[in-house]
Amino acid sequence: MSFLMRRFRPEQLRVLVLVGVLVAILIFFQTQVEGFVSPRTVNRLQTSIAIITVVAVAETLVILTRNIDLSVGSIVGFAAYFVGTQLSRNNDMSPLLIVLMAISVGGVLGAINGVLVSYGRVPSIIVTLGTLAIYRTVLVEFSNAQTVLTSRLPEWLQTLPSINLASVGSFDVRLIFAMALAVVIIFQLALTYLPYGRRLYAVGSNPDAARIAGFPSQRIVFFAFVLCGALSGLAGFMFLGQYGNVTVVAGQGMELQAIAAAVVGGVSILGGTGSAFGALLGAALIGLLEQGLRRMPQIDEFWRYALLGFLILIAVAVDTVVMNRLRAIWARNELQMAAGSDQATEQEKPAHVA
Amino acid sequence: MSLSQPAAPATDSPGFLDKAWQRLKSWEGMLLAVLLIVVVFNAVNTPSYLTFGNWVNLFQLYIEKIIIALIMTFIIINGEIDLSVASIMALSAALMAFLHEKEVAFPLAVLIGLLAGLVCGLFNGFWIAFVGLPSLVVTLATLIAYRGLALVLVQDRSIGNFPVWFSNLGQKPLVGGLPFALILFIAGVALAIVILQYSGFGRSVYVIGNNKDVARYSGVNVRGVKMWLFIASGFIAGLAGILYAAHLGAMRGSTADGFELDIITMVLLGGVSIFGGTGSLWGVLLSILIILNLRNGMGLANISGEIQKGFVGVLLILSVLAPNIFGRVQESYNRRRRLSAAETAEA
Amino acid sequence: MTQSPPRSPRDGPIFELRGVSKSFPGVQALSDVSFFLNPGEVHALIGENGAGKSTLIKIMTGIYAPDQGEILLDGQPVQIRNSMEAQTLGIAAIYQEPMVFPDLNVAENIFISHADRGPVVRWGRMYKDAREILDRLDVKLDVRQPARGLTLAAQQAVEIAKAISLDVRVLIMDEPTASLSAHEVAQLFRIVNNLRNQGVAILFIGHRLEEVFQIADRVTVLRDGRWISSAPRADVTTEQVIREMVGRQIDDFFAKTETNRGELLASVRGLTRDGVFSDMNFDVYKGEVLGFAGLVGARRTDVGLALFGINPATSGEIVYEDKSVNIQSPEQAMRLGIAYVTEDRRQLGLVLPMSVVVNVTLPTLPRYLNRLGLVKRSQEAATARTYQEKLSIRTPSLNGEVGKLSGGNQQKVVLSKWLNMEPKLLILDEPTRGIDVRTKAEVHHIINDLAAQGLAIILISSDLPEVLAMSDRVIVMREGRQMGIFPRDEATQETIMTTAMGQVGTANGAGLNGQPATEGGSADSEVPL
Repeated sequence: MSFLMRRFRPEQLRVLVLVGVLVAILIFFQTQVEGFVSPRTVNRLQTSIAIITVVAVAETLVILTRNIDLSVGSIVGFAAYFVGTQLSRNNDMSPLLIVLMAISVGGVLGAINGVLVSYGRVPSIIVTLGTLAIYRTVLVEFSNAQTVLTSRLPEWLQTLPSINLASVGSFDVRLIFAMALAVVIIFQLALTYLPYGRRLYAVGSNPDAARIAGFPSQRIVFFAFVLCGALSGLAGFMFLGQYGNVTVVAGQGMELQAIAAAVVGGVSILGGTGSAFGALLGAALIGLLEQGLRRMPQIDEFWRYALLGFLILIAVAVDTVVMNRLRAIWARNELQMAAGSDQATEQEKPAHVA
Repeated sequence: MSLSQPAAPATDSPGFLDKAWQRLKSWEGMLLAVLLIVVVFNAVNTPSYLTFGNWVNLFQLYIEKIIIALIMTFIIINGEIDLSVASIMALSAALMAFLHEKEVAFPLAVLIGLLAGLVCGLFNGFWIAFVGLPSLVVTLATLIAYRGLALVLVQDRSIGNFPVWFSNLGQKPLVGGLPFALILFIAGVALAIVILQYSGFGRSVYVIGNNKDVARYSGVNVRGVKMWLFIASGFIAGLAGILYAAHLGAMRGSTADGFELDIITMVLLGGVSIFGGTGSLWGVLLSILIILNLRNGMGLANISGEIQKGFVGVLLILSVLAPNIFGRVQESYNRRRRLSAAETAEA
Repeated sequence: MTQSPPRSPRDGPIFELRGVSKSFPGVQALSDVSFFLNPGEVHALIGENGAGKSTLIKIMTGIYAPDQGEILLDGQPVQIRNSMEAQTLGIAAIYQEPMVFPDLNVAENIFISHADRGPVVRWGRMYKDAREILDRLDVKLDVRQPARGLTLAAQQAVEIAKAISLDVRVLIMDEPTASLSAHEVAQLFRIVNNLRNQGVAILFIGHRLEEVFQIADRVTVLRDGRWISSAPRADVTTEQVIREMVGRQIDDFFAKTETNRGELLASVRGLTRDGVFSDMNFDVYKGEVLGFAGLVGARRTDVGLALFGINPATSGEIVYEDKSVNIQSPEQAMRLGIAYVTEDRRQLGLVLPMSVVVNVTLPTLPRYLNRLGLVKRSQEAATARTYQEKLSIRTPSLNGEVGKLSGGNQQKVVLSKWLNMEPKLLILDEPTRGIDVRTKAEVHHIINDLAAQGLAIILISSDLPEVLAMSDRVIVMREGRQMGIFPRDEATQETIMTTAMGQVGTANGAGLNGQPATEGGSADSEVPL
């Protein structure tokens, strides 16, 4: 037991539980919906969660620092619309340029948030509640309420959503999902191995200690917002690729889905814990629930939105109440183990190897 | 800014003029000045602005947000926030409309709608006051959840056909040419000011917002106060939702979407600190009047609703940013003054 | 890791302050303070609260810039603009409340401030290095364990390890022992000795003189922001230091008058709060001052909080006015007539940004409401005025912010707030901490008068002379246990201290290594006394 407790800390346990819940949901829907666990579901799931996964990773970066970004939905819409209009006017622009353009537009909007939060010392909830409306307003004005039409986009972008990177049997790996997966892997690695990534955790975990340790907290938080914006810009490009038609309400409400995915995936709203991988799991869980519910004819599709809300609440409640309890148990065990003679630990050693 | 003028050192010996200047320098003083500017500007630009009809119309348009802003002032001073109010508005109205559609007696439908708001508030309050979750997260989650429930009830339909007396409530003058909304505004503001600024409950709201540990160590029922505030907030949001349905004559799933932005802006612009503990309803009253008149002026000048929304967003950020910048400028000015004083002392 | 070779103290001071002054609006926090630190020396800095110790630390670590004076490192004037610069210069501070990152693990907490460990975090190497450093300190901790859930002592060990990893040359320790058990203190001192031998200059800020004298090589006293004296430990005595700290003789302000013990108010039997304190047994009589003595960490405050219902007891019995009561909330305690004056005036006692009046009537607010629930402000103001006169609270206005009053006057406002409740049992937790001498004497007179009026008083204080002078009986606690009750004539400084410290090696708290102290006895004996 104590070996297990040493191996799995509450944080890892939480990820395991999440995977367990995912499997349980799969099994549940399999019993309810005929042929639910099928290549088709998996393929659909990929397309449906790709964009939200990227935005959830973006949101994770900010939440880690004990902040929140409610404007990501507006940034996604803004970036999608912006590059969409550019492309409609000039079909010959290179794909790379377009992606970079989307990322920079998002980065600039994120930088505005970042300046106001870090240097203007305005709470992030206020800033991003404001820019949520402001970015949308600018978009509406900028667009004259016109729509980007699929037909005017270049060929390569129109086919983007259906491109498969690889196929194993009838399981496809969609390009758009591969992009999301790449984002998850890159940021998972960055958060684990780059000093900057670790400092995101440090600042969110104990802002006072970060200040006393002399970290440039303001700059760290600022760049978290810039990165969050840039990733949302990338998501905007993916949005354009996936839907083609972009109206001025594109991406509306996405901030809530992204926060839900992050929080369900174990990113603590109080900062300091969570990972990009968790955000992916959270997005997958929500996507799976939505897929399943959509295919259960007896359940009204409007329930999805309500469920999303309750899911966030449950995730946060579990995190604060249950995780605290678990950590207390771990801490007690830690003390007892330390108190036990060294010999006991020695005897357990072979178990480590096995 | 007169900060750089040599007149400032006079603060060392406060005179009458100085006190007047201090008063004017306060947030409320500034709001009053802004309000006057907006009113004068509007009056000069649009002749129809200063008509009685326009003003009545103004309150009618915004009464729902105003009454929620009043209770939101309590909640933010208490150190919490309620983001779910607009969704509660929608859910209450949706439930009422749904029951009306199912041919439940209308007064009963209204009553159940009101009750739904109260229950929503109770649910928020439970997680915040008793489980101890941050209100920001709880109400963000219920913002989604309650809106979802409203959508489940009305789906993509628009439900209307309310009884005539009900629609009149939202649209026609009630007593002596005064519309219901204006009466509600005056009564609501008076009641809120009395409770927050003069009652024992209001005192507890401030004390908890300043330091809830001191409150607990002094025998103040912290959980109880928080619970009551969220229940009241839910109930008032429910009432506002039903009023809004009366005012629109119909109800949809997306009704009142995004109202929380306007409401929170009204409160913060009024000088209430987002961290709790400070601010007053007087400031909020001024800021409500400013926002009303700004939007009215913009509306009369044919500025689109979307721009107005963005403008409110700018105001929201400025209402917190401005005092921060002001404070920092003053701080660095003071520091410089101390330094130069030290230098002259040395010389 | 390159460790600078140990220097002998004769190499001259490593760090020096010359004529440093610092003022804040309305306060001269430091005026013309000079002193120096030698390598391989533990230099104790002592002074009452408000003497300027924390300002001094903040100047040394670059959080504040001095208004005047200079800072010298290795004889060269330096400017320390922020804590990052202090770190590069080899100056680090650890605080009473360790500043760890709870979500990061032990190893990462040690290395998070390092800028020179390459562009990529090499976890394996970091764990290895962390283990090495902890080994050097002889601390056993799992380096992969998150800092959340570590004991305070273990968190401090992590901070010290962090300082060492940064090749610290000047280590500031701000009251590091305040929350440690006796056993943990012994282990901390072992680490400090270790560092001293490696040539680190240590500035040790402490309140408990016996500890200071145990660890320090030199002692500097500050008072009211001024340097008073610096001398080798061997050349000073406790009495001398105390005299310098307070600027007067210690025994000239206590004024206990004999009072007659009244009837029994409450009997406490077997009171326990799991994991905090256990098996408390005592009686409280009207008109009697019952003192609670013990070292910090003895859990005296927790007993007070249990009686007041903040953190209720988990078992045991309280018979109050002949009825068995189960106190679960402050409201309930207040209905029984129990009042609790907190030790943390600023965080738990007063709403600092609000007025004196509001604070005075806070616990009794329901009395000042009319039938509509509105506050009767004139009546409130009258009450506040009464107490202003009775306790001579010096304030320009009763409607001014309490936070702007001096510590002593703030404490009087806290007292007014609870006296206005007309309690039967008044629990005073460190009632004279951080207040000036004159007010301290006034507070002692108030306590005396209240007891004479028949109030039962529980006096929790770390100021031993105060407990001895004020109490009719003294309960001594140690690590959550009641060690004994002494009547006034048996309670001497010696008996109380011996009881409070217990015998070496029988501490049962988990120490740095987490081992029960019975097994760690050898570690204790390594500490030179």
